[in-house]
Amino acid sequence: MEFIIYWLSATPSYAAPLLLAALGLIINERAGVLNLGAEGMMACGALAGALVSLAFSSPLLGIAAAVISGATMAAIFGGLTVVLRCDQVVSGLILVALGAGVTGLLGRDIVGQTLPGFREVDLWFLSDLPVVGPVIFQQNTLTYLSFLFAVLVWWWMYRSVSGLRFRAVGESPSTADANGINVIAARFLAVVVGGAFCGLAGGYLALASSFIWVEGMVAGRGWIAIGLVIFARWNPRQAILGALLFGAIEALIPRVQATGMDVPIYLMMMLPYLTTLGVLVVASKFDEKRSQEPANLGIPYARQDRH
Amino acid sequence: MSNPFELMPRQYSPFWLKAVCLISGIAIGLALATTLLMLNGVDFKGIVREFVLYSFISNRGLAQTISTATPLLLVGLASAIVLKLRFWNIGIDGQAWLGAIAASGIAIYDVGDPSFRLLIMACAAIIAGAVWVGVPVFLKMRLGVNEVISTLMLTYVAFLVAQHFLYGDWRDPSTSWPVSVTFDESSERLQRIGFGHVHTGVWIALGCASLVSYLMLAHRFGFFLSAIGLSPKGARASGLPVPIVVILTVLIGGGLCGLAGFVVVAGQEYRLTQYVIHDLTFSAILIAFLARFNPIAVVPVSFLVAGLFTAGETLKAFYQLPLSLILVVQAIILGSVISVEFFSAYRVRIKVSGLLNRQINEEQSRQTSQQ
Repeated sequence: MEFIIYWLSATPSYAAPLLLAALGLIINERAGVLNLGAEGMMACGALAGALVSLAFSSPLLGIAAAVISGATMAAIFGGLTVVLRCDQVVSGLILVALGAGVTGLLGRDIVGQTLPGFREVDLWFLSDLPVVGPVIFQQNTLTYLSFLFAVLVWWWMYRSVSGLRFRAVGESPSTADANGINVIAARFLAVVVGGAFCGLAGGYLALASSFIWVEGMVAGRGWIAIGLVIFARWNPRQAILGALLFGAIEALIPRVQATGMDVPIYLMMMLPYLTTLGVLVVASKFDEKRSQEPANLGIPYARQDRH
Repeated sequence: MSNPFELMPRQYSPFWLKAVCLISGIAIGLALATTLLMLNGVDFKGIVREFVLYSFISNRGLAQTISTATPLLLVGLASAIVLKLRFWNIGIDGQAWLGAIAASGIAIYDVGDPSFRLLIMACAAIIAGAVWVGVPVFLKMRLGVNEVISTLMLTYVAFLVAQHFLYGDWRDPSTSWPVSVTFDESSERLQRIGFGHVHTGVWIALGCASLVSYLMLAHRFGFFLSAIGLSPKGARASGLPVPIVVILTVLIGGGLCGLAGFVVVAGQEYRLTQYVIHDLTFSAILIAFLARFNPIAVVPVSFLVAGLFTAGETLKAFYQLPLSLILVVQAIILGSVISVEFFSAYRVRIKVSGLLNRQINEEQSRQTSQQ
């Protein structure tokens, strides 16, 4: 029982960065842009967060830097794909390489230093409740914020006029264009905002989860988030569930290690990656026609192309 | 809404335009990369010295460039043929890892007769690489699972498989590092050919390059492949065996990546370590794009890209710059190459005024009426 509470209370903080990245990607993909660069943007966010937070000993400034760096990387991606109509997959891979390379280059000097970050809040008597206390009321502020963001994005996307317009851009850009929506501007904006979320996710990893910068610390979470988006069928509400599932699996690994059980640790570390693969298989079984996928995902739009 | 630029998709872009775009893309990329290096404290003379003189002309550097180019050539070929099909295999590192693991396993457990040991190691590596990409291609063809994610997830899994062995059964008890025992000198290593570290793996890679070139450029298979790449629907409609060609191509690609893993462990490292495979995937994609997916062009291009790594090693030694810098340089070059392609795909017209626009329209309508 103690093990389960311990495990469950660690889950939200593993789920939050995945959720933030997935939200960013949903915003991207709902506008029709497939951004595979999440891993790179998260790496930049994590490093920017770490550098600024160390320099000013202010986690808040650090998180702002993470958001800005993610958005900047995304703007490069937007320039390539939305403005110059480059292939979105290649551009995404470029972003990943750029993120890995730049962070390796700039992060040399702060590897391993403990960072000032966001610690768990104390919600007075709520935090002392049995079971729900540690699981729900002993998380850090960013965790609460990320779940709040998910609800807000969902509400905006499905309950507001601008959200509807926005989804139209991904479903049928030529129709949206004919309705007076500036498709190029909308897509660019979606890419930048999505990048900001991915940068935030990276900042979370550095400032609210590990409190340390190590090269390669994103460790495939950007790619897992891309899988998560397919699992969540491009819906922010379902992304919450997906993120909790993946977070629970990731949280399990150090917990099992801590109990001293004799398990092959490297085989256990495969779990998040294998789960992603498994989840994609299950998702494709249930939704073979991909009915929820934005119809124009991955296709560059130019009015003159006559879609 | 007034957008001053008007884009016209080109129906046909002439060869010279594509060539100009490719060359200027590379030039812009190199200029940006040079700027980046100079910002990091390497002066221009130093850049020329390391990237041109040392990597390609000095004996030591050239030998290192050729031995780095050997696995790069294999993965570049793999990437060139599968990208032609728009199958995004970005798990090249994973397939190479599996190849390296399989080859090491054969060497460590002394499978088979010593005189055939190298051959068995190579075959095991090819099969392992093909199996590792076989799972994603199966999932894609049967269930439509996105291959980008599945190949990449399996890369992480492959690395963890290697870790599992290195921290477990295969660990060399005589050292405190997670490395396997070294391979037997006479039967499990690719021999040096007498030029620095260059080993017989380079002949294997060149042999594969000629084989793949024959398949792609002179054989029916390559024709099918190009047709499917251009339009899968069209290829299916004209009765080409689309699934078989796709599956075979992807498996060949995986086999080549596995072979690259074999070449690294049997020709360079002589053991399995945590660092035998790194950064192959992005290099392979860069090579394929610069070579325009042409297997013959992959040979010189992978040699040039290998030169970047040689220079990176010296920059690391003399300027304390990390190898990740080379990854940034590669990303910049590929980024500028694909952005300049825009000008060969579209004609950009600047709308000066409404009047001029009307004139153009009138001229166009006159032309069409004449036709």
